[in-house]
Amino acid sequence: MHRRSGRLFGENRLGAPDPHLFLYDLREMGISRSVRLSRIVKTPDNFVKCALFICSSLTVFFVFLVIVFILSSSVPALKELGFKNVFFSTKWSPNVSAPLKGNYGILAFLNGTILTTIGALILGAPLGVGTAVFIDEYAPVWLKGLVFRGVEIIAGIPSVVIGWFGLTLLVPMIAEITNTSGYGMFAASLVLALMVVPTITTLSFEALQAVPEDIHDASVALGATRWQTVSRVLLPASLRGIAAAVILGMCRAIGETMAVQMVIGNARQLTFNPLTRTSTLTTRIVTDMGESHGVFRSALFAQGLVLLIFSAVLIIIVRAALKGRALSQ
Amino acid sequence: MNPKRADRIATVVFWSLSMTTLAALLVIIVRILSKGLLKALNPFFVFGKPEALKAGGGVLPMVVSTLYITVLTVVIAFPIALATAIYLAEYTRRESRLTRVIRLCIDTLASLPSIVFGLFGMSLFVIFLGWGYSLVAGAATLAVLSLPVIARSAEESIRSVPDTYREASYSLGASKWTTIRQVVLPSAFPGVITGTILAIGRIIGESAAVIYTAGLFVRKIPLNPLRTGAPLSAYIWYAQAEARIPDFRSVVDGGAALLLIIVLLVNFVARKLASYYREKKIAG
Repeated sequence: MHRRSGRLFGENRLGAPDPHLFLYDLREMGISRSVRLSRIVKTPDNFVKCALFICSSLTVFFVFLVIVFILSSSVPALKELGFKNVFFSTKWSPNVSAPLKGNYGILAFLNGTILTTIGALILGAPLGVGTAVFIDEYAPVWLKGLVFRGVEIIAGIPSVVIGWFGLTLLVPMIAEITNTSGYGMFAASLVLALMVVPTITTLSFEALQAVPEDIHDASVALGATRWQTVSRVLLPASLRGIAAAVILGMCRAIGETMAVQMVIGNARQLTFNPLTRTSTLTTRIVTDMGESHGVFRSALFAQGLVLLIFSAVLIIIVRAALKGRALSQ
Repeated sequence: MNPKRADRIATVVFWSLSMTTLAALLVIIVRILSKGLLKALNPFFVFGKPEALKAGGGVLPMVVSTLYITVLTVVIAFPIALATAIYLAEYTRRESRLTRVIRLCIDTLASLPSIVFGLFGMSLFVIFLGWGYSLVAGAATLAVLSLPVIARSAEESIRSVPDTYREASYSLGASKWTTIRQVVLPSAFPGVITGTILAIGRIIGESAAVIYTAGLFVRKIPLNPLRTGAPLSAYIWYAQAEARIPDFRSVVDGGAALLLIIVLLVNFVARKLASYYREKKIAG
């Protein structure tokens, strides 16, 4: 007999749904009071399933909308200025009154984004992975919760607050030590390092926790020191998870806007010196959006498009690293 | 190197790495609070009107905007997120190609930079739909941003409800939907609420997604959701970057401390609630 899962009653002898029989069976069992029957009959399972499915496919629709609107808004810049003049030019001199007369090359900001992200990972990845290993292996019991909670608190601090902290404390400190303005990619990387630590720590910790206890115990039983266990057993076994954690941290660093905008100095120049003012893609968008229109605005959207492509590519890499397993953050 | 010595060095390294993380957190909190706590607790600042040119302005309209936009965001995002979570956790035991696409989209949405949401919200809600810089436009943008966050945590808590609960319900003759409504959701409820409150913390702190959708500065308390608002986080950025008030340093100090306190409080409530329910579950 054909039977739908989860529905033990409510079918007549031929296997067709019969709401009356359903009611009758439930009443027989004496549970009519705990289950509001009229509601059940009015909302059959298939209808509910359909409605829930529509709601969940809204997510797909939203991703579609984001792509369509960012893409369509950046088309004018790519069309009227040319692909080459946008992506392979370092000259950014917008013309507010006559947008078409300006230059809109984003290469300098692309450079800023890539270098600050690398800087953030050089500083932040060891901190994040190290903290995760510490919580998993080294911390005394009373300290485990404290460190983990601390990392969660860092994750919750709004980016404008971290930015203000960087602007009022880190930038003057850097200025004093190096005898420069203090603004630049180094300050941005410092601030970003702080912001990627929570992502990297929580996800690396999860990866370390997923390593079977037996392997760990076997290593210790063979007389391995703690460091030998960590470096030859735990880290290799959780390598994919940790790589995914670092890539997601990278995602965060690439997309962070306000905190970086406050400390990077917002100059329009291409530079490889971490102590001179420059911009990233995100900070240029925020700085210029207010006064932009026409092709100028469209060029800002093109930078948004680059960010969108970056994070889509990174998320696909992460999912591949985790073998298609969905992320849980 | 001698393994014992290597081990000792590694121990020192891991201790110092994690203590650096903790120290950084401590320095930030102490710095922000020591600079702005007095201002943030000053009623003339919290309940005062902002000034455009003079010193001594407050942030009441910004606090109200933040609350307003948060409520609107949750009202829009929560039902969709919950429905998505129920569908993914209860109706797709076997992963079909379709649910894989939905998951990929949730992951993509969750990892997009907030400035991209800001651009998207601006071109769709502010310009294309003609809502202008308004609280609704900001809330709609934030709803799309927080949807995957709420949906993920809700799905996780729904999945953590033991299957025996469901089987008991089915054996009493309840249908699938009745089981979800009367059995699964009530026991997943604490987790769902905790996840939502954590998302609220993120919504309150979000600035890049709202400055060009909801607005940066207002004089009066925004009552109409179709009017421009100025969430506190956006105003903090505006005050330090562009405002022409002479006392912007102290306003930003106070605003940053106030925002930090609100966000820490929200996160604290979420954790407390989670541990309260966990203990209740173990006890009861």
